[in-house]
Amino acid sequence: MRKVKIFPPQVWRNKETMYRLIAAKCTSCGNVMFPARDVCNKCGSTKVTKVRLSGKGTLISYTVNYQSLPGMEKVQPSYIGLIKLDEGIEIVAPLTDVDENLREGARVEATIRRIRADSTNGLIEYGVKFRLVENEPNR
Amino acid sequence: MEVVVSSYSMIRVDRYYEASLTELGLAAAKSIFENLKEKVEPDVVLIANSYSEKTANQVLLSSKIARALGFASPSFRVESGDSSGGASIYAAYKMIKSGSVKTVLIIGAEKLSDFPSSYLNEILLQNMEEEYESRVGILPQSYSALRMKIYMKKYGVDYDYFVNWPYLMHKYGSENPYAYLKFQVDKDAVKNSQLISEPLRLFDTAARADGAAAVLLASEDVAKKIGDSDVKVKDVSSSSGHLEMDGIPSLRGAFAKMGRPKFDYLEVHDSYSIQAALILEELGFTRGKSLEEIESVPVNFSGGLKSRGYPGGATGIYQLIEAAMQLSGEFPGRRAQGVEKALVVSTDDLGYSSFLTYLSR
Ligand SMILES: [Zn+2]
Repeated sequence: MRKVKIFPPQVWRNKETMYRLIAAKCTSCGNVMFPARDVCNKCGSTKVTKVRLSGKGTLISYTVNYQSLPGMEKVQPSYIGLIKLDEGIEIVAPLTDVDENLREGARVEATIRRIRADSTNGLIEYGVKFRLVENEPNR
Repeated sequence: MEVVVSSYSMIRVDRYYEASLTELGLAAAKSIFENLKEKVEPDVVLIANSYSEKTANQVLLSSKIARALGFASPSFRVESGDSSGGASIYAAYKMIKSGSVKTVLIIGAEKLSDFPSSYLNEILLQNMEEEYESRVGILPQSYSALRMKIYMKKYGVDYDYFVNWPYLMHKYGSENPYAYLKFQVDKDAVKNSQLISEPLRLFDTAARADGAAAVLLASEDVAKKIGDSDVKVKDVSSSSGHLEMDGIPSLRGAFAKMGRPKFDYLEVHDSYSIQAALILEELGFTRGKSLEEIESVPVNFSGGLKSRGYPGGATGIYQLIEAAMQLSGEFPGRRAQGVEKALVVSTDDLGYSSFLTYLSR
């Protein structure tokens, strides 16, 4: 099997994206960008502030993926969702803890899960995946 | 000053375990110079290649290939993912139009057969955004699966709607001697092929493999001296755009900038069947019905990415040559009749970048 190498600086500098769901919001047009950027990709404004996403959203669609990647063979098949976050943006993200209740329109929330591990030193990279929310009515 | 497709050459898309990336590029370039009436040192050499760092552990490819051909020409590698081919044609056209360059040799070369699918996926993952998508492993195949589902829901079509595309591509490709998967498939074989990312199946994706193709673009005056080709690049256009689930903004932008020209032959980047549908619809085919309308204009008589094969950044150079050969009546496979204007659509795997090349006789 191919060796997986994790470089700590790459994981460390990504902490706001991966562990805190920090996005950017344009103060001119209201556009939300995840991952955060310093320039608005809709209107070009540089007046952009950081916002923390609620991590809650609605599943628009999903796919069951049978393709594998080095270091991620354990989660196969994997579930990938197109999610409309409550802040209004759509993202494509992995789904976790999936059971037979997966359906379009379901409410989902962000959670931190293991992504991959370094083959040599055991270092683990974590990241945001989404799971179904219990007991919340569909919108 | 017109820009002429002066000479071209390609090798069959295949698995070349015996040849390196550099050797593939040289193999394609070699026959170009054998066919010219006069010795030419190109003013510029461009290498269209997307993945050399991960596939061959190589950078500085353009200089290596130029020197191996005995040229001291300035050389550049053009990297724009799987649209590198289209991007290099765009650059070459603009250089010649500027008047300060007369000849540009473009060599598209890519090597994607050496690896198991898991590593190939790691290579393709580089196309996805750096901080989130690629780190959590969202593959372009899954994006295409989601696009397919959204399309099916929006237009009320089922999986069978998409089957016509690989069926036709393999039918066309079975006549193309340069095709990688040079065989026909029946519709049941498509429907029962391996699931990649549900509902996307193997035949809805394209056959990534090794390939190299080269083209010499020249200003009209030089082209007359060195060859007899009368196929011209009339225009190029390009846009970058965000990813839409039900359309391709970069292509919409590029086609609008070009003035939505009429064409009677098309080569398109069908990295997925859904990608083919979205491309055709941006070019004016009916939304939700494009894959039923494909017999109205000759499209991808090469067999497209599905049957001719999908050699990454070299793909756009194959497309250019195939369209040029349709115009000159020299294509060795299925031929369209009376082609006057051909449009080549080169995009990256999902269409963040689109490059259009408009050809005429
Ligand atoms: Zn804005």
